[in-house]
Amino acid sequence: MCEKTLKNKKVAIVAGDISRFDNPRHTLQEEMCAEAVKGILDDVPELELGDFIRKGYACCYSYFSDILEQQQCMHWIINDYLGLSGVPSYRVESGGATPIDAIINAALWIRSGMFPVVLVVGWEKMDELPIQKVNEAIAIAGDTDWDFVSGFTYNAFYATMEARRMHVYGDTEEDLAEVSALCHNNALDNPYAQWPAQHGFSKITVDDIYKSRLISWPYRLLECAMTSEGASALLLANEEMTKKLTDNPVWLTGVGFGSDTMRAGDRPDNPAWKGLYPEDERIWPGQVPKPLSPYPDLQNFGSLRVAARMAYKDAGIHNPRKEISFVEIFDPYAGVVIAALEDFDFCKRGEGMKLVRDGVIQPHGELPCQLSGALTAQGHAVGSTSIAQVVDSYWQLSNQIGKKWGAPGRQLSHPKSAFIHGHGGTGCQAGAVVLEV
Amino acid sequence: MEQPGREKTIKEKKIDDKHWEDWERRGGWTPEGWKIVEMKDGPSLNELKPDTFLVVHRPHGSVFHHSYGKVSKFFIGLLEGKLYGTKCPKCGLVYCPPRAHCFNPPCRLQETTWVELPKKGEVHAHTVMTIAWPSMAHLQPLVGAMVRIDGTNTCLPMTMRDIDPEKVNIGLKVNIVISKQPKGDLLDVYATPAEEPKAPKRTEAELKRFREDMDKTREWVKKTFGTKTNK
Repeated sequence: MCEKTLKNKKVAIVAGDISRFDNPRHTLQEEMCAEAVKGILDDVPELELGDFIRKGYACCYSYFSDILEQQQCMHWIINDYLGLSGVPSYRVESGGATPIDAIINAALWIRSGMFPVVLVVGWEKMDELPIQKVNEAIAIAGDTDWDFVSGFTYNAFYATMEARRMHVYGDTEEDLAEVSALCHNNALDNPYAQWPAQHGFSKITVDDIYKSRLISWPYRLLECAMTSEGASALLLANEEMTKKLTDNPVWLTGVGFGSDTMRAGDRPDNPAWKGLYPEDERIWPGQVPKPLSPYPDLQNFGSLRVAARMAYKDAGIHNPRKEISFVEIFDPYAGVVIAALEDFDFCKRGEGMKLVRDGVIQPHGELPCQLSGALTAQGHAVGSTSIAQVVDSYWQLSNQIGKKWGAPGRQLSHPKSAFIHGHGGTGCQAGAVVLEV
Repeated sequence: MEQPGREKTIKEKKIDDKHWEDWERRGGWTPEGWKIVEMKDGPSLNELKPDTFLVVHRPHGSVFHHSYGKVSKFFIGLLEGKLYGTKCPKCGLVYCPPRAHCFNPPCRLQETTWVELPKKGEVHAHTVMTIAWPSMAHLQPLVGAMVRIDGTNTCLPMTMRDIDPEKVNIGLKVNIVISKQPKGDLLDVYATPAEEPKAPKRTEAELKRFREDMDKTREWVKKTFGTKTNK
């Protein structure tokens, strides 16, 4: 590594903001983005939009679907609208992993020494098409020759994966409902969340989850992500600029990303994975026949494992369960939380549900998860999703939840670090970041 | 060097060009209607203000002309009622979905060869869809299964017919059926049970909920499509 790269290795979050998740919002993409970026400008008075071109800063844009937006190269509109014409910028797109990859991309830009400051902006509009067509626009991120036209909805792919977890490791419908209730109740104090905007501010229980309609067994409506509209923005900087712009930074100390097969059905015998994680391959109940590559098969998300271990290594984290204060998991479906806890080394394979049952992931538990409400309840305006989760986590780590949410009771007491992940497809691609104060 | 030459059509099921051209023209972005709506909006729930918006109804649609490339033989096979996969001559892995090039890293993208597959397989994982694509809505509750076709190293997602959704289980042996009127995509393939299915373990409460969910779905299908479509 060249000296310049090493010198610029430290990356911090200087500021972040969200234009709330809801459906519909009716406000245009560029207007929601402006709201989020305006929040950053309010928090960082020393930052001028004109600095971006004059001082050599850059922008990285995040949105998922040209179909949902009915617009290709939507980021050119955003870039123009924010008054950033001329500024080096491009869009990152990788399905659900889009926003986390945009953050990773921005962090690597800064580490490369190329840019001292990078603005990340993400958004999505998901209400313009009828819901069946929205589902279709999402589902064609699956292989359109081999997955999409099988008669499976996208929900169905995740449902088969969870059904296999239930069969092999004994997850129960109650575990899924518990995860969903946790997310919904966590969102009740979040003024950027879609669930309270639409359904009010009362707690819900496992029985309320059971009352919601079945979508694709075992998943019920309230165990699936919401479709949303919204935007969010994050300002990243190198160490030198961070010191100039804020006295309350949160350091982005680790990034990681990984991938897996396009089609989930190609995973059980995928020769590329055989022997990669032997300790996980061994955790296998005797009565179930072992495929050629027992990890990840359909029960786990291999791309999440690759991303997490890379991010931990990057951040110098050796024992994530002890060293990470709280976690935001990208949860398009409730069971992903349970599987991801295993893939992220917070517990052994097949034991994710124990963390749910023992209350470990509750807000006052040992490893709080989904404090924002996550995709299930904060919302899932795809290009904004993980950026907003990182913004929420940044506010937690910089002790700003009281100010930003207007809910001081929800501020964790001196959290030290956070792990946030995002992924696309059925785990076809994943990214993760470690934040520390 | 030689030129590849123009494509030569060997066999064809023609589409009604005029009908679809008209459809594309009608789906051509011109607003068909609009509404003016009032709604509170703002960046957070602590900063909402009343606002007014114009929403236009703007259609957009096209027909894609898609080639299945070097795995076309699989789909040509479906048109002929046969099931094909590909096999790597180096490592012996068998793919369905087929791959024209082996993805086992040591095989260095070796070209595969075609093999005819038995119409038999096993359920690797399953679900019951109570929301399905519009074209299959009348079949709800619809079982979806990841099926490992015998002798392959892959699972092919497909729907199942002639099965009680309550009883579908991992490990169930299935027959693979190719539609008598194949259209030329994967929806031409579905599975039926090849043995007596064994219901997976459910608690009493889970079973009660499951049956209520199935009843609700069947009721909706009956109300929406009448009795005759859902056998």
